Amino acid sequence: MGAELTDLDFIRRVRGICGQKNVLTGTADLEFFGSDRTRLATPAPLAVAFPGTTEQVVDLVRLAASAGRSVVPSGGRTGLSGGAMALRGELVIAMDRMNTIKAFDAINQSVVCQAGVVTAQLQAYARDRGLFYPVDFAASGSSQIGGNIATNAGGIRVIRYGMTRQWVSGVKLVTGGGDVLDLNRGLTKNNTGYDLRHLVVGSEGTLGIVVEATMQLTTSPPPSSVVCLALAKLDAVMEVSRAFKASSSLSAFEFFSEAAMKAVVASGETRPFDTIAPFYVLLELDADTESRVDAAFNCFERCVREAWVMDGVISQSGEQAARLWRLREGISEALAPLQPYKNDLSVTPSQVPVFLAEVEEVCRSHYPDFSLVWYGHIGDGNLHLNVLKPEQLTAAAFHERCNEANEKIYQIVQSLGGSVSAEHGVGLLKRGALARTSTPPELAILRHIKSAFDPSGIMNPGKIMPTIPDS
Amino acid sequence: MKVLVAVKRVADANVKVRAKADGTDVDLNNVKMAINPFCEIAVEEAVRLKESGVAEEVVAVSIGDKSCQEQIRTSLALGADRGIQVETDANLQPLAIAKLLKAVIDRESPDLIILGKQSIDSDNNQTGQMLAALAGLAQGTFASEVVLEDGHARVTREVDGGLQTLNLKLPAVVTTDLRLNEPRYASLPNIMKAKKKPMDVLTPEELGVDVASKLTMVKVEPPAERSAGIIVESVEQLVDKLKNEAKVIS
Ligand SMILES: Cc1cc2nc3c(=O)[nH]c(=O)nc-3n(C[C@H](O)[C@H](O)[C@H](O)COP(=O)(O)OP(=O)(O)OC[C@H]3O[C@@H](n4cnc5c(N)ncnc54)[C@H](O)[C@@H]3O)c2cc1C
Repeated sequence: MGAELTDLDFIRRVRGICGQKNVLTGTADLEFFGSDRTRLATPAPLAVAFPGTTEQVVDLVRLAASAGRSVVPSGGRTGLSGGAMALRGELVIAMDRMNTIKAFDAINQSVVCQAGVVTAQLQAYARDRGLFYPVDFAASGSSQIGGNIATNAGGIRVIRYGMTRQWVSGVKLVTGGGDVLDLNRGLTKNNTGYDLRHLVVGSEGTLGIVVEATMQLTTSPPPSSVVCLALAKLDAVMEVSRAFKASSSLSAFEFFSEAAMKAVVASGETRPFDTIAPFYVLLELDADTESRVDAAFNCFERCVREAWVMDGVISQSGEQAARLWRLREGISEALAPLQPYKNDLSVTPSQVPVFLAEVEEVCRSHYPDFSLVWYGHIGDGNLHLNVLKPEQLTAAAFHERCNEANEKIYQIVQSLGGSVSAEHGVGLLKRGALARTSTPPELAILRHIKSAFDPSGIMNPGKIMPTIPDS
Repeated sequence: MKVLVAVKRVADANVKVRAKADGTDVDLNNVKMAINPFCEIAVEEAVRLKESGVAEEVVAVSIGDKSCQEQIRTSLALGADRGIQVETDANLQPLAIAKLLKAVIDRESPDLIILGKQSIDSDNNQTGQMLAALAGLAQGTFASEVVLEDGHARVTREVDGGLQTLNLKLPAVVTTDLRLNEPRYASLPNIMKAKKKPMDVLTPEELGVDVASKLTMVKVEPPAERSAGIIVESVEQLVDKLKNEAKVIS
């Protein structure tokens, strides 16, 4: 470790690397860039640096390592687990300036982009070339490719296209040790031992900083229609899922409860039909041929006959499809002012009804004052459980009770072999729960991997795992 | 009272269309098709007239190859009672469409004919006007409100600089503007019911209309790419560039 640097000296050196105007230290900037969407606690980083090149990122990381200062990588700051929260004098390295799409290869159907490229920017770039980047979700207008890789973002089309991991064919990483790793380099086939690229996917900034990635694109999907159905009862979800999977080619299968519908409607969307149901599903299906469309209609008829479905609509235009999607995608933002307690849980898709019923039962008997809002990517077995704060509770008391309730909920997750964080990552928010579904030997391996990439432990310390105790 | 609505099958408004590589036409391969948004508004208006008890029957007409039956089915699902397809593979111009619609009107004798003000594919804004002229009917174009009473249609039109209200004697032709209404979703139960609604298929020959086009399409090409913008350093520089480079101010 080099000579101790004062805060001011350190900031001066950071400015020397990135340039005067690319380092911010004002209070409002520190709060904004030191936080993600959770706003878990008051951010308090030392400075925010906006590097413009890989070399600058290397220099920043090496400087931080030699000065024994921690680094928090920051992408689009839309994370929902506190992964990008900087709370204790860290150097935030924000990738916003590294937002260039550097190369397109039509034969490989791939794009080399810098980590700060916004997800929607890559989607539009693909579309302009008659191709498709399939990872999509409500925050894709702000989230960055680097952040998507660091969280292995999922979203609304996972049932057909998988998570971000599936689309990363190369990653350039600046490790916590200041080395530049150029991993997998766009290769389709590369069996040369452990695939370090895949360790970087989902590492939440704890191994190093993603500076560049090779992302795969795919052919554009056929024309599709969006269907929204009113479900008579919970059990119907899986029946409807099975029926539509058999009859149609689905690209999304989403779910939300009436409480969620109420919230989005209050935020300005319109109900798709007059029927009020306990649950709704929204599905997107290929509608490129008449027989496909007819198959969907027949499936709907069957679902009505079986009394699974009470009502439904199908989009007749892209505009209507977008409006129907807003019913699902608007939920998270519609609930935000109510400061819900969020859980992002997964089980296998077939276990969803059992899981949901058990959680509802536990909450009904122990926490009757909680109102539960369910929604999620149910085709993937992924449910976002949002608990709304009862008015009479203070925020602190509410969180305490939620943590207590979580113990019971996690027990259910554990008993079903599920996951305590399906797609939002662990960050700060779920690290206490990690041991629920990861065993001690697994956690020990995680720590070893981290120290191999980040020997001085400066990369996003305390995220995923509590800070390694000195021993 | 009988209302006739015309619906056109077009590339979905949300699709970014491309020209075919050889420049002969727009490439509609693998493109989502939909009812022209203005026609959708026409259907909605007709259905609302029926729901409010003003109209007894709504007939949806579309002209084109077999695929346009999909848009007729959608209109039936939205609430139209019966469909008519005039089947032809020909590439039709507004005048031919207007003549065909005129022939359908002669058979159906509707009291009100509602069309979109234009279709979003070719943006002609001609069919409604030509139809009214051919049929010798009153016309109210760009309607943002339609009220029917005493054998008349009171049509509020969106014109430059304000609104104009016309009182048309029925039967009349009305074309819709964007703000007339917000179309509903097609409900799946209604789509199923619509399958049982009748749809007649006619041909231009049966209607005695010659649809031969008098226009030839020479070429389709995409709009020129815009060159990238620049960020100027100051207001002075902006003014200077607008004056001396773009020459848009003096
Ligand atoms: C309305 C809304 C809806 C959402 N829906 C979904 C959804 O459906 N599915 C889903 O998976 N997520 C969803 N999210 C969560 C979030 O958008 C994703 O986790 C996203 O991938 C985060 O990207 P970001 O660029 O904003 O990352 P940030 O929030 O900035 O950071 C996330 C983590 O990645 C690290 N990181 C960021 N950039 C880098 C980098 N270049 N190198 C290394 N580490 C980095 C950070 O340190 C942090 O740990 C949603 C969020 C919102 C607000």
